[in-house]
Amino acid sequence: MSTLTNARRIAVRELRGGLAGFRIFLACLALGVAAIAAVGSVRVSITEGLEREGRNILGGDAEVEIAYRFASEEERALLDRLTTDVSEIVDFRSMVATGTGLEAERALTQVKAVDDAYPLVGEVELDPAIPLEEALAGDRIVVHPVLADRLGVEVGDTLYMGDKPFELSARLVREPDLGAAGFGLGPRTLVRTEALEGTGLLSAGSLFETEYRLALPPETDNARLDAVRAEVEAALEGTGMRWRDRRNAAPQVERFVDRIGAFLVLVGLAGLAVGGVGVSAAVRAYLEAKTPVIATLKTLGAESRTIFAAYMMQIAALAALGIFMGLILGTAIPLAAGPLIEARLPVPVALGVHVQPLAEAALYGALTALIFTLWPLARTEGVRAASLFRDAAGPSRGLPRPPYLAALAALVAVLVTLSAVLSGIPILALAAAGGIAVALAVLVLAAFGLRRLAARLSRSPAVRGRPALRAALGAVGGPGGEATAVVLSLGLGLTVLAAVGQIDANMRAAIDRDLPEVAPSYFFVDIQPNQLEGFLDTVENDPAVTRVDTAPMLGGVVQSLGGRPASEIDHWVTRGDRRVSFADTLPEGTRITSGEWWPEGYTGEPQISFAQEEADELGVELGDEVVINVLGRDITATVTSLREVDFSSGGIGFVMVFNEAALAGAPHTWLSTVYAEDEAEARILRQVAADAPNITAIRVRDAVALVTEALGALAAATSWGAGATLLTGFVVLIGAAAAGERARVFEAAVLKTLGATRRTILASFALRSALLGGAAGIVAIIGGALAGWGIMRLVMEAPYSFEPVSAFAIVVGGAIATLLAGLAFAWRPLGVRPARVLRGRD
Amino acid sequence: MLDLKDVSLSLDGNAGVVEILHGITLSVPERETVGLVGPSGSGKSSLLMVMGGLERATGGEVMALGHDLTAMDEDALARFRREHMGVVFQSFHLIPTMTALENVATPLELAGVADAFDRAAEELEAVGLGHRTGHYPAQMSGGEQQRVALARAAAPRPDILLADEPTGNLDAATGEQIMDLLFGLRDRHGSTLILVTHSRELAERCDRTIRLVDGRLSEETRRAEAAE
Repeated sequence: MSTLTNARRIAVRELRGGLAGFRIFLACLALGVAAIAAVGSVRVSITEGLEREGRNILGGDAEVEIAYRFASEEERALLDRLTTDVSEIVDFRSMVATGTGLEAERALTQVKAVDDAYPLVGEVELDPAIPLEEALAGDRIVVHPVLADRLGVEVGDTLYMGDKPFELSARLVREPDLGAAGFGLGPRTLVRTEALEGTGLLSAGSLFETEYRLALPPETDNARLDAVRAEVEAALEGTGMRWRDRRNAAPQVERFVDRIGAFLVLVGLAGLAVGGVGVSAAVRAYLEAKTPVIATLKTLGAESRTIFAAYMMQIAALAALGIFMGLILGTAIPLAAGPLIEARLPVPVALGVHVQPLAEAALYGALTALIFTLWPLARTEGVRAASLFRDAAGPSRGLPRPPYLAALAALVAVLVTLSAVLSGIPILALAAAGGIAVALAVLVLAAFGLRRLAARLSRSPAVRGRPALRAALGAVGGPGGEATAVVLSLGLGLTVLAAVGQIDANMRAAIDRDLPEVAPSYFFVDIQPNQLEGFLDTVENDPAVTRVDTAPMLGGVVQSLGGRPASEIDHWVTRGDRRVSFADTLPEGTRITSGEWWPEGYTGEPQISFAQEEADELGVELGDEVVINVLGRDITATVTSLREVDFSSGGIGFVMVFNEAALAGAPHTWLSTVYAEDEAEARILRQVAADAPNITAIRVRDAVALVTEALGALAAATSWGAGATLLTGFVVLIGAAAAGERARVFEAAVLKTLGATRRTILASFALRSALLGGAAGIVAIIGGALAGWGIMRLVMEAPYSFEPVSAFAIVVGGAIATLLAGLAFAWRPLGVRPARVLRGRD
Repeated sequence: MLDLKDVSLSLDGNAGVVEILHGITLSVPERETVGLVGPSGSGKSSLLMVMGGLERATGGEVMALGHDLTAMDEDALARFRREHMGVVFQSFHLIPTMTALENVATPLELAGVADAFDRAAEELEAVGLGHRTGHYPAQMSGGEQQRVALARAAAPRPDILLADEPTGNLDAATGEQIMDLLFGLRDRHGSTLILVTHSRELAERCDRTIRLVDGRLSEETRRAEAAE
């Protein structure tokens, strides 16, 4: 007890000295905690917004989605019985055109065909501000401004869907249920379902989804909601229907936000690790300055543990202050950036103060502070009272005692476990923790290597006669100095940025490089069997077309695989509806990896050919029975062959292909991929659309652009995270530069005494900064390239090639950053009169 | 060699402007050794700094080898020192990130001497540290560090050697060795030596002893007179 009391008294007296030496300590900790708190707060804000606004986002209390058909009369009757109101929405892709001839402009659109009850919740905002009822009366449609601008049409103009003309009555400003919509390839068109009659769209075999939005009585609680769900699911079992309700209104957005949030927290942890380097350096410098005090205390009878406790208390108090500052900043940033965040998301955000993310950030901050201060604190044990009577040598340089090392290992384990559990992506969290640990170890080694190399070079005959360079090398390689702290902090920050740069560039390159060479120009879908001949006639006779592939397509719902119900298998193939195909002979270019393709003209029991990779993932083997519901009818087929399907080629690829006789009788449409020269793309589209306006054309280049855009947003978010890490690195850098200023003032004074001009001295200071920054940059490039290689090859299974532009920018950036920080603290040393400095030390 | 005319120095301190030196007029001929003595705070170190151009006089004229130090800027002063002056301090002031050899070679390199390292090694040999050329200052004792500082000051064979209490941080025996080395170097290079010291015996080894009190010259003794 008396140990702690004494320690507390000493701590309080010591803290009277103020916080001057702890600005960098506080800034590092506050920045790291703020980044994590901000990301966590935004994540929770969005999740809570989704929960609170679930009904608005979904456009009802619940939604039942069915693929490729409308609800049967019995199903509709059930929905009507269970609810107070039902709205039926049909969602599908189509083309909208300014005319019917060859000259017309055409664009892909995501059509939402609605009934009178739409919207059950919220209001549709239009420009001009007319009621939706009026806007959709008769054969009138509403389109998104992007679509109107793309087609160059104004309100009052005529637009065509299929063969039918519609009057554009308004532009769509806001859909209340936008957040619930999935990934759309085109801007929105709103139309009444009954007005689609005569368009030729939504015919048998077409690909569309029907969504039944359900309104329940206001008093409906979650238990009642579950009961309704159970009843609906029982009645629609095996139809591939999907249920969503106000509790998970926008699962895609939620999943995306969860993932990116968790990922950014991991990037934030890297930032905290960088901050930890600064924290450690600050504590070390503080304790070294305190060596005489510690020695005096020991002389006066203080035990090592009293001294350890006294300094631990001081650091803990300061860490608490730093964490508190971080939490304030982490709360303020999302609030300040609120409008920006809200504008970029299709869902409402409840920005505010959330306890859970703040607690998480505080915990991360406290653990990091402990981990990075324990080592220097443990070294206070090594200070001997005798050091007072000799040159104060500072705390010892050796390893701390085993108990401290064990405590350090335990703390690291707790931090890693915590990040794995709290982030919800344990594998990635462990990989990130491993990555940070490896990066830190590599950087420590790199710093050590750099110092050895610099020391060796400073003695090499080559630099003799170049005092500025030799002094710079000596400062980097000699005792003391800031080399380790700078290389560690800046290196780690730059490594994160380099990894993001390499991955982003490689992903873009993968899309740019691979797709155009092998991918078709267009996917044409919804080709009716009776239109196929005319369609092929058009495209195959076009001289610019190099290749045309076609395949029949039907919508199916997997019921079971090898006796296991699909509902028990979590895989994209078993989720919702799945498009399937059929063929009699082995399609060209298809490679069977095991089993045998059915004989030509086979009409026996249904057989199925399964994609090899998906079969492996799902545990499907040759001889397994697969049950698929196609348009209400269960078809049981035996897996008789496995095929190689390369979905990345952009061509036609089906996971499941039936023998022709099994499905040919079912209503189906044809899918066609057309490979053509770029300049012919527009002409082909006009020709096909003029002949058969119901056929939907998806331009692969546009789809790729959408993916690239999404990728860009992801890279931007990650870059912001990496930027926060880099900012912390820069603070550590400034800290190191500031800490080294006293040494530089002294060095400049001595060098001036020995005859060095200010230019020589400045050159020496600049050189050492550039050397350190360049070294950190080079290590970052190696680290970033390794991380990029790992992610691309092992996670994405894509080729990796080193991207030199961002890498070069990072080395230069690193060198410039250290140069600026170094020069900022070089002016004072340059301006100081030698006598003032040198006499001050006598 | 060194001519000071009516030199004054005042510095801005926390307590306002402090007058350090008042109207110092002094002439030191070539090869003379001068001991500057006086109580603490009398301005003797400041006077030495002004002589070396390490501190700028606020009044008067400081001529060294015919050059007016008060008219030179920082860089010109630096260039002048590397060609003509060597300075030794009480606290040695070696650059901690450089080895002994590198510390000694630095002024030679700055002066563009081709065989800077060979000459530095010779100088270290001359002060008895030929075996410690690769050591950093922190790895050496105070006496050794001061010997490195002496070698560094003497290496460019300066016309003028300035020494500010070079034995102040050393024990008597080590101090004695350092002074022997200092005078030995001075004799070897034929430099003019200005030595600030508290020690009467040390001052008496100089050709002339000048006493300062409150920033003013108060007394001057020549060795011949002292011997009498």
